Amino acid sequence: MSDMLALFLQPASLARWQQMLMLLPLCLAVSVVYKTTKCERVRDIPWAALVSWVTIVVGMYLVGIGLLVVYELVA
Amino acid sequence: MKSPAATLPPSIRGPVAGFLSWLLPGAGHLFIGERVRGIILIVVITLTFWTGVAIGGVKNTVNPEQRWLWFLGQICAGGHTLATLAISHNIPSPPPGLETTRIAYGREEEISVVYTAICGMLNILIIFDVLVRAEHPTVPATSPAPPRAPKAGGS
Repeated sequence: MSDMLALFLQPASLARWQQMLMLLPLCLAVSVVYKTTKCERVRDIPWAALVSWVTIVVGMYLVGIGLLVVYELVA
Repeated sequence: MKSPAATLPPSIRGPVAGFLSWLLPGAGHLFIGERVRGIILIVVITLTFWTGVAIGGVKNTVNPEQRWLWFLGQICAGGHTLATLAISHNIPSPPPGLETTRIAYGREEEISVVYTAICGMLNILIIFDVLVRAEHPTVPATSPAPPRAPKAGGS
C-alpha cells in the first residue's frame, strides 16, 4: 500500500528513450476513446482503435523526424 | 436489465448522463445502459489520468495557480482532477532543497500535465457522445426486425 502511495507521491524520473515511449500509451488512449464514441458496434472498436493508434503513432513520429531534419538544416 | 435512465424523460436523462460523465468519465454511458462502452471509457481515462499523475507526482500535476490554462483542460476530467487537487492540498510542501522528492520538473512535468489535460479534452468528447446517445437511444441489435409493410397495389 505504501508502495502504491509512493508511486503517486514521488515524481518519476524518465530516461530520454522512456520519454519518447510515453507517446504510445497516450495515443492508444486517444484512439480507444475516439473509436469507442464513433463505432456503432462495440465489436468493431478493438480493430478500429488499433488501426487508428498505428496511424497516429507513425504520423507523429514522421512529423517529429521531419521537424528534426528541418531543425538540423536550418541550425 | 433496464438502465436506470430508461424511466427518465430525455430532457432529464441527457443532463444527468452528461454530469455523471464529467464526474467520472464513462459513468454517463453506464447510466444510459451502454455498459461495455462505459467500462472501456472508465478504464482508459482512469489509467491514462493516473499514469500522468504518477509521472509528475500528485503534489504538482494539477496546479491551478501556476498553470491555469492547462487546468481548464484538466478540470474537464472532473472527479479525477478534483481528487488529485484534494490529495495535493493535504500533502505538505517539501522543505527547501528537497522539492524534487515531491515535484517534477522538466520533461516529466510536461508529460504529466499533457497526459492529464488530454484526459480532460477526451472527456469533452465523451460528454458530447453521451448527450447524443441519451437523446437518441439506439435500437439494440438483438431486437427483432420490424415486419415488412405490404406492397402498395401488390399482386
